Formats: sequence, C-alpha cells, structure tokens
Amino acid sequence: MSARPIIEISGLTKIYDLGQVKVPALRGIDFKVLEGSYTAIMGPSGSGKSTLLNILGCLDRPTDGSYRIGGDDVSTMSDRQLSRIRGERIGFIFQSYNLIQQLDVVENIHVPLFYQGKDINSYREHCEKLAELVGLSDRMDHRPMQLSGGQQQRVAVARSLANEPLMLLADEPTGNLDSKTGEDILEMLDKLHGEGRTIVMVTHDDEVAERAERVIHLKDGLIDRDICVGKQVAATPAPTSEADVGEAKKVRFRVKLNRGEKD
Amino acid sequence: MPGFSVLRVIQVGFKSLHLHKLRSALTMLGMVIGVWAVITLVAIGEGASQDAQEAIKRLGAQNVLIRSIKPLDQKTQSQGFSFTSEFGLKNADATRISHTIPGVKRVLPILQQRKTAVHGRSEVDCQIIGTFPYYPEFTQARIVAGRFLTESDEREKTWACVLTVGMAERLFTGQNPLEETVVIREERQGSKVFRVVGLIEERSTADKMPQDEDPSGKTIEDNIYIPLSTMKGIFGTLDVDRSAGNYKAERVELSEIRVEFHDAEQVLSSLPLIRDSLNKGRDGVKDYEIRVPLNELNALKQQKERDTRMLLYIACISLLVGGIGIMNIMLATVTERTREIGVRRALGATQNDIIVQFLIETIMLCLLGGMVGVMGGWGFAEFRHHILEITTIVKEWSIIVAFGLSGMVGVFFGLYPAIRAANLDPIEALRHA
Repeated sequence: MSARPIIEISGLTKIYDLGQVKVPALRGIDFKVLEGSYTAIMGPSGSGKSTLLNILGCLDRPTDGSYRIGGDDVSTMSDRQLSRIRGERIGFIFQSYNLIQQLDVVENIHVPLFYQGKDINSYREHCEKLAELVGLSDRMDHRPMQLSGGQQQRVAVARSLANEPLMLLADEPTGNLDSKTGEDILEMLDKLHGEGRTIVMVTHDDEVAERAERVIHLKDGLIDRDICVGKQVAATPAPTSEADVGEAKKVRFRVKLNRGEKD
Repeated sequence: MPGFSVLRVIQVGFKSLHLHKLRSALTMLGMVIGVWAVITLVAIGEGASQDAQEAIKRLGAQNVLIRSIKPLDQKTQSQGFSFTSEFGLKNADATRISHTIPGVKRVLPILQQRKTAVHGRSEVDCQIIGTFPYYPEFTQARIVAGRFLTESDEREKTWACVLTVGMAERLFTGQNPLEETVVIREERQGSKVFRVVGLIEERSTADKMPQDEDPSGKTIEDNIYIPLSTMKGIFGTLDVDRSAGNYKAERVELSEIRVEFHDAEQVLSSLPLIRDSLNKGRDGVKDYEIRVPLNELNALKQQKERDTRMLLYIACISLLVGGIGIMNIMLATVTERTREIGVRRALGATQNDIIVQFLIETIMLCLLGGMVGVMGGWGFAEFRHHILEITTIVKEWSIIVAFGLSGMVGVFFGLYPAIRAANLDPIEALRHA
C-alpha cells in the first residue's frame, strides 16, 4: 500500500524580523506526513513548536523553504488563497476549543462549511451527523456556554471534520481538560485515526504524545528527534542540518527512515 | 459571495447583536434619535409651512389685493383735530382696473366700516363689509347656513345681511339667527334693520378679511356682510370713530379692491400696469398698498427651502454623532471579539469575509436604529397631527433620506472597524485572551 504524503516540508525556515535583531524560530526543517498517519510534535518552549504549528496551519508563511499540503506549495500563497486552503484542507482543534459563543452546536460545526460557500440549510443534516458522531446528539441547539469543556472540545472535533479536511491539526487538545475528559478526546482522536484520518498534534505532554505513531521533537528550531512507532510509516527526509544536532539522538522507540522512502 | 451567504451573515449578525442586547440598544440610540429628529423636524416644518401656504393660497395666487391706507401727511393733520380726511380707493379705480388691465377676470370691491350690531340685549362691535355676491369665491368662505348675498340684493339694495358664525354666536346666543333681524347702530343716519339670510365661515383666521386695527390694537373678527350698494346708500363713505374722546372721521370710498386674474402667471407682469392705473389722477399721494399673495407664496417657498436645508444640516450632524458612537462601539466590539475573528480566519474566512461580517453588523445596527427612529418619528408626527391637532406632515422623502442616511452612516462608520478586524493577524487574534 502506498500512502500519499499530505505534508511535505523541506528546508523550512522562519526568521522573525524584529527590526534590530532577526530571531530564527525554524532553521531548516524537513519532514513528510503521510496520509492516515498520526504524528505528535513536541518540544520545549522556544523550540519553534508554535511557529511550526502556525505554518502547518497555513496561518503563517515560512521565510524560506517549501511547504506542500496535498501537493500544493502554500509557502508563497496570498492571504486569500491561504484562507481557502485552511478551510478546505485543515481541521483545527484548539486547546481552548474556540467555539463561537453566539452560535449553537450545529451552527458551530457548520462554520468551516459556511466559508466554503455551503449553505447551512443544505448541510444541516451533515452537521447533525457530526454532532452525533461526537456524542452530542441531545445538545445540538445548545450554546457553548451551556456545555462543559469536554463537550465543547467534542464540538470542536466535529467542526474540524466538517469539511472532510486532509488533516486534523490539534494544538494541545487536552491542555484545558481534566485527565478523564482529556482521555475521552484522545480516544476520539484514536478512533478517527483508526478510520484513516491524518492527525498532526502539537503537545508538550509525553503521555499524550505516546498515543501517536510518530513523535517529532523540536529543539532550537530544528528537528531533534523523529521517532516512529507502530506499523505506519513516516517518511522523513534526513535533516540537512543533522550534523548540527547529531548527538541529540537519544531514542526510546526509533524507526528512522531516509529521504524519499514512502512505503 | 453568493446571496444565501449574505443572508446567513445577517442571521449571525442578529445573534451577535442579541448576545449584547443592552449594548446594541444603546448603540442604536444615536441612530434612533437622529432619524427620529429628521422625520419629526421635517414633518413639523412641513406642517407649519403648509398651513401658511394654504392661507396664502386662499387669498389666491392669481389675486392682487389693493387696500386703502391713510397717507402719511394726512395722518399728522388729523392728530387731535376734528377733521375729516378723505383718501383711498375709488369706485372708478375698480372700474378702470377691470376694464383696462389685460388678463383681469373680475374685480371685487370691498367697503368696510366699524359699527355696533344689536339684537335684543346683545351688542357686538363688528365690521360691516359691503361687497359683491361673489365675495365667498374670492376668500373661499364656506356657506354654513342659508345663502350669501345675491345679484338681486345688490341691484335692489336690499336689507339682507350675512353673518360670520362667530358673530352669530355672540349676537344670537343659542338661537337660530336665520330670518332674524339685526340692528346696526349708526348715529348720523339712524339705526338700520337688516334681515339675516345666511351664515358663512371664513376658512381660517389667516384668511379673514384684512382687518383694520382698532385703537387698542385689536382686530375685530366678527363680520356682517351686506350688499355694497345698500352700504353706500345708507352709511355713505364716512367712517366716524369717536373712541378715546377723539373725533376722527375718514372718508373712504372703497376699503379694498381685489383683482382676480385668469392665470397666476399674469399677476406679476401686470403689477406695473395696476400701479400706473392707480397713480393716474392721484397726484403722487400714496393712499393705497398692493399685496400680492403670489409673492408671499414664493417668499414662503424660499423660506421653506432654507428651513429644510437647515433641518437637514441638523439631522446630518445628529446622524454623524450617532455614527461616531457606533464606530466607537464597533471598534470595542472588534477588540472584544478578536478571538472569534482569529477562529473564523483559521476556519477559512478570508479578510473579505470578515469585512463583510462586521460591515453588515454595523449596517444592521444603523438600519435597526433607523427603523425604530422612523417609527418613533412617524408615530410622534401622527400623534401631533391627530391628537394635538397641529398640522404635521410626514414627507416620504424625509423617511427615505433618514433611512438611507442611516444606512450610509453604517457603511461609512462600519468600514474602518471592519477593515481593522480583517487586518488582524490570525495568529495574534487566536492568541488573544
């Protein structure tokens, strides 16, 4: 079986220009994420984790290097094109749920569809099915304020699926939840992964990261470790700057693959 | 953006406004007051000017009024003397105008004198007006009961008289005055008895016969109309005033001549001819004045245009103030909803989508405020018109202008906050607390 790459990143660099000084946040990163894989990105603060997340989410553009999502290079796209890519190909799950207060559950799930020009009346059934999928069929007309944190995050998961995106991009999805409800959300992600969805998750929590098949550790704007578990293959081009971080390869479970291998 | 999306944005806009009901209501208040003010002020101005225009129109746009006035030099002469001054319009003037001025349809001569009318025990100071049978057509007075004077009254110098309703009420409290008699007291010639044949009502105080003021500055509003021929025959043309221990006699042949033209267009061009005609044989004595309702109408129209413009300026300022208030609130709203903006951007909203969303919300606020203002202003105008009975006319254009302006204010003052919202960095916006 050959899985196509959803994300192809090469030489990804991001330098923040603060006028006097230029601060490099990402210093040339290469990796691929294959369809149906479950990847966690970890790293201490200042490692470039958030910057990578923003670029992966098409909210920010790299200073240099290329980022392909679904085969299209988005690194030079206009704001308008990026908006479209975000809506079509990425399903966001945020740490703080980020539901829209004035809308009810079904309407919140519909928001990404709306920006693709899809009328709520024609897609109401679709949105209701998603609400059912995350176990909120009895709360479809509730406002976010009337839901618990776990329920809100489930709405967010349903919303991330509304547009059938290429990948789910989760940013600390359990960060605001207690361990029990956090577990529920992670199980839901496991289930979605089991159904063949591609998931990229940013987290600082080792336990959470262990649910993924592959963990990419960032440090100082570079990939420090890239660890794969399970059957799913992660295609990772060798970091060009591998020599710089050569010694930092302490590995518990490691399957390292070379550039260009896709199986 | 397809139409259903705009509808959806409006739906969501309602939800957003609903989320902060009090704030939305207070924000709208500026618009409400602005629009309310426009509609009410225009309606009040329109009502007042319509009242005045109606009054002048009833004097007749195609009419010219010529009145006798006492020339200045004679006024001084008569001071403190027993002196009979003779001045004013003559029958010959009326005849000459009607025969020589082109376009004249007819001429109405009027002679008025102040007398006392008596019935039983009631005595009422009044104005005796000798005139022709077609007098009501000139002033558009309404015949309430009986009839007005006729051609045969005039020809045969009958003792018929017509009273104004107010006069009848004062003289015949509660009784039916028709066919009753009225005695008009007259020292020199002896009192005369008239038979009441009709009651009329002048349209409003404004279009009653122009009245001479009595010495205390009051005008007498109670009129008795009798045939001009009868009046000349019995009272002559000498009007004697013995008020305030003062003997003052004036000999005036006609108090007033009203000239009706076939067409209002002929009025202004004929004025010099009328003046020439009157000045003939007057030897430079200016004992008449010409009043042209058409001129007054035009002056009033100009005045009204100025007033309307001023009202619009005031309205624009109040809408401007309302608009600034709305912009202020929308800027605060954008800050408050920064996170929502970030989320929407992440979920695929373009900058345009964000602009449209906030612009539509602002416009909705303004139009809702405008709608409440229209209802309030309109309602108040109707209340004033029907309950307070002050002429107040809501002009359609004022509603359209006020409503349209409130929409434009929405666009104008909504654009900046909307653009600010759209220009937010999605990453920053998502991180916003």
